[in-house]
Amino acid sequence: MIERVSRAPKWGIWALCVAVAVGLQVAFASSESFPAGLDHTFSDPIDDFGRWQQSARRTNVLFTGFFTPLSDMVGWALDTVESVLLWVPWYVLPAAIFVVVARTKGWVVGLIPAAVMVYPGLVGLWEVTIDTFALMIISVSIAVALGVPLGVWGALNTRVEKSIRPVLDAMQTVPAPVYFLPMLMLFGIGRVPATFATVIYALPPVVRLTTLGIREVPPAAVEASEMFGATKRQTMTRVQLPMALPTIMTGVSQTIMMALGIVVLATLLGAGGLGQEIMETLSQRRTGRGFATGLAVVAIAIVLDRLGRALAVTDRSKLPGRKVMAGAAVAIVGLTVFGLASGITEFPEVWSVKIFDPIDNGVVWIRDNLRWLTRGFNDLVVADFYVPVRDLLTETIAWPVLLWIGTFVGWRIGGVRLAVFSLSMMVAVGLIGMWNQSLDTLTQVVAAVILSVAIAVPVGVWAGRNPRVEAFLGPILDALQTIPSLVYIIPAVIFFTVGVVPGIVASVLYAIVPGIRITALGIREVPAESIEAAQLFGATRRQTMLGVRLPLAAPTIMAGINQVIMMVLAMVIISGLVGGGALGFAAVSAVKRSDLGIGFEVGFAIVAIAMILDRTTAAVADRLRPVAGH
Amino acid sequence: MSDPQLTSVNAASLAGDNIFKVFGPKPARALEMAVAGVSRDDILRETGNTVAVRDVSFDVVPGETFVVMGLSGSGKSTLIRCIAQLVELTQGSVSLNGRDLTAMSEKELRDVRRNNMSMVFQHFGLFPHRRVIDNVAYGLEVQGIDRAARHKRALEILDIVGLGGWGDHYPQELSGGMQQRVGLGRALAVEPDVLFFDEPFSALDPLIRRDMQNELLRLQADMGRTIVFITHDFDEAIKLGDRIAIMKDGEFDQVGTAHELLSNPATDYVREFTEDVSRTKVLTAGHVARAEKSGDPMATIIVGAEQPIDTILGTLLSTDEPVAVRGTNGELIGVVDRSAVIELVGGT
Ligand SMILES: Nc1ncnc2c1ncn2[C@@H]1O[C@H](COP(=O)(O)OP(=O)(O)OP(=O)(O)O)[C@@H](O)[C@H]1O
Ligand SMILES: [Mg+2]
Repeated sequence: MIERVSRAPKWGIWALCVAVAVGLQVAFASSESFPAGLDHTFSDPIDDFGRWQQSARRTNVLFTGFFTPLSDMVGWALDTVESVLLWVPWYVLPAAIFVVVARTKGWVVGLIPAAVMVYPGLVGLWEVTIDTFALMIISVSIAVALGVPLGVWGALNTRVEKSIRPVLDAMQTVPAPVYFLPMLMLFGIGRVPATFATVIYALPPVVRLTTLGIREVPPAAVEASEMFGATKRQTMTRVQLPMALPTIMTGVSQTIMMALGIVVLATLLGAGGLGQEIMETLSQRRTGRGFATGLAVVAIAIVLDRLGRALAVTDRSKLPGRKVMAGAAVAIVGLTVFGLASGITEFPEVWSVKIFDPIDNGVVWIRDNLRWLTRGFNDLVVADFYVPVRDLLTETIAWPVLLWIGTFVGWRIGGVRLAVFSLSMMVAVGLIGMWNQSLDTLTQVVAAVILSVAIAVPVGVWAGRNPRVEAFLGPILDALQTIPSLVYIIPAVIFFTVGVVPGIVASVLYAIVPGIRITALGIREVPAESIEAAQLFGATRRQTMLGVRLPLAAPTIMAGINQVIMMVLAMVIISGLVGGGALGFAAVSAVKRSDLGIGFEVGFAIVAIAMILDRTTAAVADRLRPVAGH
Repeated sequence: MSDPQLTSVNAASLAGDNIFKVFGPKPARALEMAVAGVSRDDILRETGNTVAVRDVSFDVVPGETFVVMGLSGSGKSTLIRCIAQLVELTQGSVSLNGRDLTAMSEKELRDVRRNNMSMVFQHFGLFPHRRVIDNVAYGLEVQGIDRAARHKRALEILDIVGLGGWGDHYPQELSGGMQQRVGLGRALAVEPDVLFFDEPFSALDPLIRRDMQNELLRLQADMGRTIVFITHDFDEAIKLGDRIAIMKDGEFDQVGTAHELLSNPATDYVREFTEDVSRTKVLTAGHVARAEKSGDPMATIIVGAEQPIDTILGTLLSTDEPVAVRGTNGELIGVVDRSAVIELVGGT
């Protein structure tokens, strides 16, 4: 029998909690905000370091001997790739994409990404897109060049793997733009720090899956190789790596998608490309162009996703022979030579479609005619939720009360460890002077999470129960998941201009996808026997849903909510781009002003919130999980 | 069938001395207990270690097929992997042509593996990312032999193992039996002195298995290599083995020819194994021939001493006269008659 562990809250304890809270509130009612005792303790040395590195850049051997040459090298590689891509005739890139995808997926499937690749040219964004493409190529190449050896090392040495894994885990909970600051410090502003931030952010999947792939090679094959007198290196290069290749390629394709997400964000570091184009056009209210640029990012996402999937197929027995591939290569070279000889290299201007003005007009029309709706929503979120809750947390309730409640809840849910963890994180955030901004951010996060859950859970339940709905939503959700987070602010800005609300809306759009996915999964996974048993006892559909399905799916749904929270937090900084997100906004301005000290404090606060919420919701999901027997 | 490069007999002798292999956290303590004769279960319970091989010694002469047979978990794979140095011995030594493999450096061992031994695996252990020809050529490739030479050799080998024309396919496009032919070809391509087989045919269905056994016998008749062959199938052991070792709980219960095991089982365990075996398959005419005192009998029917009884059953039953048994050089060994066979089939 399966039975839920009964841990009904003991009312006495909760009453005590409330009593202590009231007591603290009375005692500290008139006190100031959290005493930021360590406000300058960390930020000043970092600022000093920032100032020092600016002057040391020309003199210190660390820079002249290492970072500057490295930076020059990467800059040169970026320039070279970009100029080569612009030098060859424009149609070579789509043709090459076609060949790579068609090689494993058939020529019909190959045509799709090739055609999609033409879109940026049609809307006059060819050069900007190539810019972003070059950044992608270099970042992903470096990530693979670092990640594969690291993964191999981890596969060969358990101790190495054990020390790499927590780092990789941590890297994935840290919101991407937090990586920008250290890069800024080491490389200054521009495409090079953007490249390195992307490399670091996108590294985990390729490392993980390389280790996994090598571990998964059947021991019999490795032994056979050894038995024939192969050296370790021969076994690695001739047997283990080739056999792990499909898994490694899956890692590479995940790395590609993560890299795209951050490459467009790297506009914050002055990387240019499509991200910058989006931000500029949106701030100039050229919505049509912003929209078209967003679609170009989506186009690249589709192309890269298809490329990644095509690369991950390595069943050699199904691939076309060498002759076909050689023919394709010759054809591409021929096309290139022909193009160069006849001077057809740039994307033909005449093909450009003028879609900006109609979109602009359409957007203005929609905005004007939907004002009643957007205005109402805006007021609901801001006036009825955000402002009162934020003020309640930051002004009415004294900070010791919040510390107490946070610790107490941590203790009840996750035991002493979680309580100590939450308390120390909260105190640290307060001490460095991020208390109020963190609570402000938290309020926005909560708003976005409530909205996301309110949409995702019902839709997820519907999809989980109805295979046809699921089949319909599946591809849409797939597509949405490949879109870089920055793109989600475009519709939000179109309807809600700037401020807290577009940030929340963008976060919701971004976060509902995994919410729906995981909820549907949880509902679908409920054992048929349990449902049948309930029906046998004459339960109505409603009773079955509320009494059996939802409770049994609860742990999985909770895991989905955890995912939603993490996605919303990942959007905090993007919300900052449109003036929301409190900490996000602070992060954006810190990066823009190269204000390293504040940047680090903000980054720490965001990571602290993320870790507290992550561990708390994970603990809730754990407690909901049924435990077998007594 | 008679490829000159396969017939060149270059067999080696192989010996094992008091081999122990212990898996688990505290091998030293478990080894002590194993040497002292504590049972495998007791050692496992007390120390958490598995004694997979316990005090095994053997001598395999050049050109001999030595079969190790035992039930699942008796330690056969561990033993052959100890012999091949794929796992480190906890105690004891293995020598090939008198050279101690356990004392070799990594490089020396690699040279021995490249030149003197190779192995066929139970689940084939093929490389799915390489074409059949490159699977077969793998041993030559790691030795640094150039592409043209190793492909030429691999093509010859493919013909020998009956896979002519399949070189450009990938292993997963082949049936199970064919895949193991690739495994066999890969092992033969390096012209090893010793061949190890770890239950190579047990993943195959019975008909294919019989084909493969016959194929191996045919090849071995040509090449006469030293072979260590693992199986859990006694019929297979009888068919292929010159001598058979019966393994139980990591130890050899008995080592001997099929005839010795059948007629003189050392333990009840061996007896249990041999009980179900059809004697007529194991015993040859030479074994049951009764010496004829009255000189050369006037027998008109003659059989060879090495022929198993079941192959001459028809001959024996179709005549009332005794049948003469002659050795390989034509010398008379004795006679068999119907009564001898009836005794054998019905008997003890
Ligand atoms: N790497 C290992 N670590 C721990 N124990 C092992 C290891 N390999 C084998 N053993 C144990 O050693 C014992 C002998 O295993 P082995 O694989 O040699 O048996 P086997 O006779 O080949 O059996 P089978 O017919 O199933 O292949 C088993 O109890 C097994 O669990
Ligand atoms: Mg085995």
